Amino acid sequence: MPALKVAGLTFSYGAGPLLRDVAFELRPGDFMCVLGPNGSGKSTLLKLLTGFIKGGAGSVCLGGGDIGSIDARRLARLVAYVPSETTTPYDFSARELVLMGRTARSGFWRGYSAADEEAADRALAETGIAHLAGRSVNSLSTGERQLVFIAQALAQEAKLLLLDEPTSHLDLKYKAAVMGLLAALAARKLAVAAVLHEPALARLGCNKALLLGREGAYSFGPVSEMLLPARLAAVYGLPENSPLLPK
Amino acid sequence: MGKNKFLPLFAALAAACLFSMAAGPAGLSPEVMLNLRLPRTLAALAVGAALGLAGALFQGVLKNPLSDPYILGTSSGATVAAVFCFLAGIERTSPLFFLAVFAGAFGATFLSYWLARAAGRLSDAALVLAGVAVSAFLSAVVMLTLSAARERSLSLFYFVLGGLYAVEPGVLLFSGAIILVAAAFSAARWRALDAMSLGAEKAYHLGADPERERLVFFALACAATSAAVAMGGTIGFVGLMTPHIVRLISGPSARFLVPAAAVGGAALLTAADAAGRSLFPPSEIPAGVIMALAGAPFFMWLLWKNSRGRN
Repeated sequence: MPALKVAGLTFSYGAGPLLRDVAFELRPGDFMCVLGPNGSGKSTLLKLLTGFIKGGAGSVCLGGGDIGSIDARRLARLVAYVPSETTTPYDFSARELVLMGRTARSGFWRGYSAADEEAADRALAETGIAHLAGRSVNSLSTGERQLVFIAQALAQEAKLLLLDEPTSHLDLKYKAAVMGLLAALAARKLAVAAVLHEPALARLGCNKALLLGREGAYSFGPVSEMLLPARLAAVYGLPENSPLLPK
Repeated sequence: MGKNKFLPLFAALAAACLFSMAAGPAGLSPEVMLNLRLPRTLAALAVGAALGLAGALFQGVLKNPLSDPYILGTSSGATVAAVFCFLAGIERTSPLFFLAVFAGAFGATFLSYWLARAAGRLSDAALVLAGVAVSAFLSAVVMLTLSAARERSLSLFYFVLGGLYAVEPGVLLFSGAIILVAAAFSAARWRALDAMSLGAEKAYHLGADPERERLVFFALACAATSAAVAMGGTIGFVGLMTPHIVRLISGPSARFLVPAAAVGGAALLTAADAAGRSLFPPSEIPAGVIMALAGAPFFMWLLWKNSRGRN
């Protein structure tokens, strides 16, 4: 059963179509990158996949059920989402934030269970930030904070992990670390989809790519076909020999 | 660990109570203490707890450290409704009074929220601006009403000024019960409030329904604020300051912050009211004035700190 099945997804904010008749499917173990110029609808697509943005036509199925028929609590067990901007005005510790990944696991009247605490510790260990558990998240570097929010998403133990620009504000070392982590999660049979700004990063473990172009145009397929310089040059409006495109 | 954390707060609360029982020009006779200062201290405790609680709820559910019932217009909405009730002859002990005041508080809060949302992204600044606009308008309505109803305006004037004068036992009991229920309900839902303090988008993806949580916590904060306004009129800045101060002790999680803000708010307002009674005897400075004197500079400091954090 696919972790995510999208069919005929069409959406617009009013003017021209942002997404037109988008269809693709992710299975456990897939690691998909979403590429495209600014304003092509990458972030909107992710939020349509979680149902945070509603409206538009077509269907999004998560774990076999249509997204419209899934309540917030069950949804959080099917899909976890890491936003591009991960700030909070309050000084939560890294571990407190990761524990919040367990929000949907029991009623709000109850505290976190022993299983919740274990899941949080597992997520901290898996993302390699167990040593930061007690630190205030606002005292961490951007890269470390990104890992905290990925750990929070992992603690949700969802089958599908969506990330909006997880590498954008990071230095090269953290870019590689985050991509390596996501690839390892995919190898563990999670389905992962990440919006990326640099096509070259897709070489670090992605097996599928979704290219969003202008006015709703899109293409989806294996990375080897999607990352051809000619195709990327057309999507981004660059000359084919641009040094920005992966060889 | 939780109990040790609360020790300094309860010490502050006890100190504020002693101060309040002793302060004032009338001396320390048993009659004065029992008949005047005890009810007044209880009222200050209840109003302070309600406002501290409401501040913590608004700051959490809106992910906005600059919000409180005064800045969002909640208190003004409640005050307008209370003034209209006085003029219509609806007693403060009547349930109808509380319903009207709650409706005023809830309506004003949602108006501020809706205005800030309509301005685009729900930024901290937009919410404060919308709250200021709503408060200014509602304050003008109150002033207009006071001018028009001149023969009754002196008692109303003191009410609007924000002070804890003669609180009837019935009002104290009824308001106190509302505040207790709101505090218990909020404290029990601390995990939902924590999720909301990461923003509506993150809360949704963690499995909380942001629309519902906003409604629930707005209603709880407005109920507490309404009960506070019924007893003490418009008292600002308790809701703003208290959560920032108690967070230093309780940490940011609503699990400890919500009860701590109620206890801290009670201590803060009780001390402010006692200070107002002892600064310039025999005249009395309303607790609302004392809180504004302390709170407005605090708000400016918060604004400065917040804008620096952005850059």
